[in-house]
Amino acid sequence: MTLKEQIKQILIEDLNLEDITAEEIADDEPLFGEGLGLDSLDAVELAVLVQKNFGVEIKDMEEGRPALQSVQALAQFIEEKQGK
Amino acid sequence: MSQDSSKQLGSEWGYRAFYLLIRLGGYRAAYALLHIVCACYVLFWPQVRRSCVPYLTHRFPHSVGFTRLWQQYKMVDSFGQTMVDRAIVGSLGAEQIHVSLQGRQQLLKVRDQGRGMILLMSHVGSWQLAMSAMGALNEPIHMVMHGHASSFERHDYEQDSGEVKQEAPYRVIDPQGYLGGAFEMLGVLKQGGILSVMGDRVPEHEKNCLQVAFLGRQVSLPMSAYHLASSTGVPLVVLTSRKCSATSYEMVVADVINVPEGLGRRPEVFVPYAQRYAEILEKYCQEHPYQFFNFFNMWK
Repeated sequence: MTLKEQIKQILIEDLNLEDITAEEIADDEPLFGEGLGLDSLDAVELAVLVQKNFGVEIKDMEEGRPALQSVQALAQFIEEKQGK
Repeated sequence: MSQDSSKQLGSEWGYRAFYLLIRLGGYRAAYALLHIVCACYVLFWPQVRRSCVPYLTHRFPHSVGFTRLWQQYKMVDSFGQTMVDRAIVGSLGAEQIHVSLQGRQQLLKVRDQGRGMILLMSHVGSWQLAMSAMGALNEPIHMVMHGHASSFERHDYEQDSGEVKQEAPYRVIDPQGYLGGAFEMLGVLKQGGILSVMGDRVPEHEKNCLQVAFLGRQVSLPMSAYHLASSTGVPLVVLTSRKCSATSYEMVVADVINVPEGLGRRPEVFVPYAQRYAEILEKYCQEHPYQFFNFFNMWK
């Protein structure tokens, strides 16, 4: 499973996204607001899940804002932090 | 009245009149005027009476007629006293109002665990004045508060008062910021800091809420504090405040709620913990029925 696929799976299972499959989440689809429609509580949960699943910490808003733009952005952030 | 009660009761000139009276005659003079003003509000302003009804009908379901009218007056007058007290502190200095802390040792024990904490507050007593008792923590407190309120509220708890031994700086996190201030809140808690949130009002447009029983029927309470606590492993310290006399308040550590870590995102898992908070609030309403200041229908 690719990193993006893992992220999408986490979004669906751990953030309880109903009526949507991983295939239906576009890599560049906005995660918050318009797009996937996640909210602030999801942001907290996602930050915790990213640390738990990938060992990568989103330290603050300066890191979080660009990293959580989309699945693509988050995958890129994780890879950079992991030194890949 | 809407949730933002303090700004709707009274006009600019009214506030100025009270500030002047406080300077000239102290709290006794201000209270004397307050009782008259509140009586006029209750008698002649139906909106004020209506704003008290949702809470009073649940707290005193069998009261009617003059008894209900008296309860409405007591509630409005009690709220007015907290506003006058804040003005007294602002005008004459913090030494005019004594603030004590019940449960200090329990609070310090939580602090000394080094995990940080979330102070879960309510619109009871005067949380603004009583917050100065949090100086006992000798650590900054990050208050989640709408930006438009911060300048109005901040002067109260930045004053040295009561048992404060050292100045305790306060920071404000605006929940209308990016992603509701989520990263700021997480950042505070990850560093073992102290966050303060209100537990009894669901912000407008907020869909993350929990249904719990309060005074006989279901109400909605915000979910974020419990979710944050579970996400970070940080304890929730439930605080209430009450006015004890004309010149004193008490902040009380009502409970410490440890929400298990990693509960996830589903609202239903947090209901037992929110229910525990609601029960504290209900007990408070039984003991101090006129110091509960949610002037809107929590039960709709």
